[in-house]
Amino acid sequence: MDMLEFLSYGFIQRAIVAGSFIAVLCSVLGVLLVLRRLSLMGDGLAHVTFGSVALGLALKVYPLYVSIPLVMISSVGILKLIERAGIYGDAAIGIVSSLGIAVGVVIASASGGFNVDILSYLFGNILSIGAAEVYISMFLAALVLLTICFYFDEIFSMTFDEEFAKASGINVARINLILAVLTSITVVLTMRLVGIMLTSALLILPAVTAFQIGRGFKHTLFIAAATGVVSVITGIFVSFCINLPAGASIVLINFVLFFVAFALRRCSFFHE
Amino acid sequence: MILFVAFFVFALLSSCETKNQTIESSRNGKLKVVATIFPLYDFARQIGGEDADVSLLIPPGTEPHSFDPRPENIIAANRAEIFLYTNNIMEPWANSLLKSLRSPKLLLVEAGKGIPLADEHSEHRFERASHDPHIWLDLEKAQKIADNILENFISKKPAKRELYQSNARKLKETLADLDRKFSAVLKTCKHNTVVHGGHFAFGHLAKRYNLRYVSASGFSPDAEPSPQNLVKMSKILKNEGLKHIFYEELVTPRIAEVIAKETGASLILLHGGHNISKQELDNGTTFISLMERNLENIKVGLQCKQ
Repeated sequence: MDMLEFLSYGFIQRAIVAGSFIAVLCSVLGVLLVLRRLSLMGDGLAHVTFGSVALGLALKVYPLYVSIPLVMISSVGILKLIERAGIYGDAAIGIVSSLGIAVGVVIASASGGFNVDILSYLFGNILSIGAAEVYISMFLAALVLLTICFYFDEIFSMTFDEEFAKASGINVARINLILAVLTSITVVLTMRLVGIMLTSALLILPAVTAFQIGRGFKHTLFIAAATGVVSVITGIFVSFCINLPAGASIVLINFVLFFVAFALRRCSFFHE
Repeated sequence: MILFVAFFVFALLSSCETKNQTIESSRNGKLKVVATIFPLYDFARQIGGEDADVSLLIPPGTEPHSFDPRPENIIAANRAEIFLYTNNIMEPWANSLLKSLRSPKLLLVEAGKGIPLADEHSEHRFERASHDPHIWLDLEKAQKIADNILENFISKKPAKRELYQSNARKLKETLADLDRKFSAVLKTCKHNTVVHGGHFAFGHLAKRYNLRYVSASGFSPDAEPSPQNLVKMSKILKNEGLKHIFYEELVTPRIAEVIAKETGASLILLHGGHNISKQELDNGTTFISLMERNLENIKVGLQCKQ
């Protein structure tokens, strides 16, 4: 089977298109999260989603309607914990995510079982993206990029020094809230589309790759987005050529890209 | 604060008491059996009949491959006299759960004992040399499972030998009848290929009735399918003119939906029997009824004449 025939399949086209938009979305958001030491936000919120889906199934409500608001509350909760309880981001994420899992397990036990498997409800696969979901990914990517453009200066100064940003009159609380909401929607929806492994990987790996070679904030954001897209497209082709699962191939390609970027930086250090 | 703690402790104790009472009420001389998955649970309750108190370890709706035992499961297993599991490949967690049990009266039963797992028909590159644990889907092997369960029931409670034997005979007859029905019907089909958008579960069934079986992913539902495999499945559907793609129970059939959309095929359920939903458990679904429905659906999917 040749490449052209492979590309004629709808699910491959949708994986490439929606996958690229999701890559841009997650990579850009990832830069902001990693810089603020919230790299594991994706994983943490995924655990909260588990609890909220269990709640949705128990209440017989469409789980996404429960998940999105609850995950938003949790991500604001993580920020509040950091701010008020004076703990680091990793611990705050840990608190909220274990709470999410615990609530899910309690509800699942108390309700004595469900009609569908919760985990399968949560985790999509990049090859099983539907037509409507391609538009969701485009809309989300546009929403996140526009928000970041709109608040670029505020986000820039907050990301590096929140105290300074506050002192210079930026409404830090509002920007934080906006970012928390965007992250929540992104995590819940992309997890449904491509699974938690890929969501989490795309939030962290393109960002750290970009930090190796990026010069300046804008340049870093751009490199992260490009890395994400390149990894998704090459990942899908590689997975086709050597018959491997697509999601895992994308993560591996991301690691290779990180390693190359790291090596490049080391080399340029030696030259200087 | 002290009042609150006192109230909390009191509430906790009283809730424990009610639990103990329900356990007391089940101590009425019945054989207490815990089964890991639905087919074993169903066979055990049919063989045990009035004289057994069988419970299903995995909560309804949960996928057994990825199941993680909880304290309550360990307690349930500890109170049982017989613990039924399929084999170490189907329930890899069963062994670790059993290691933590120190109940001298508990009899561990590998229900799939003596049933070979190797499946030469597998089309999976990685799993060809491996084993398919879904032995209950071969209705002849299912009878062997019933025999294994019967043997252990008798050894635990020889006094009830006759009851167990007659119940097991009835169950095995039904299984044998259904097995003959499967063979007869599946000889009359226009198509021979079962295209399944789920995990590799029907290897034993396909082998028994000479069907070709293609699945989206490997033995575990957690394994991701590769794009090549999905392309291959779409091609088989198109080339053979199949109008149906089978999907698996309990999980959201996203992969099957994608292939269905690609090829214009429609979705039809093929129940692996691993576990059933809460709703099905409440309406008294049995393994036999699941398999009868499977036969009806395969008839539609493969366009069988009978």
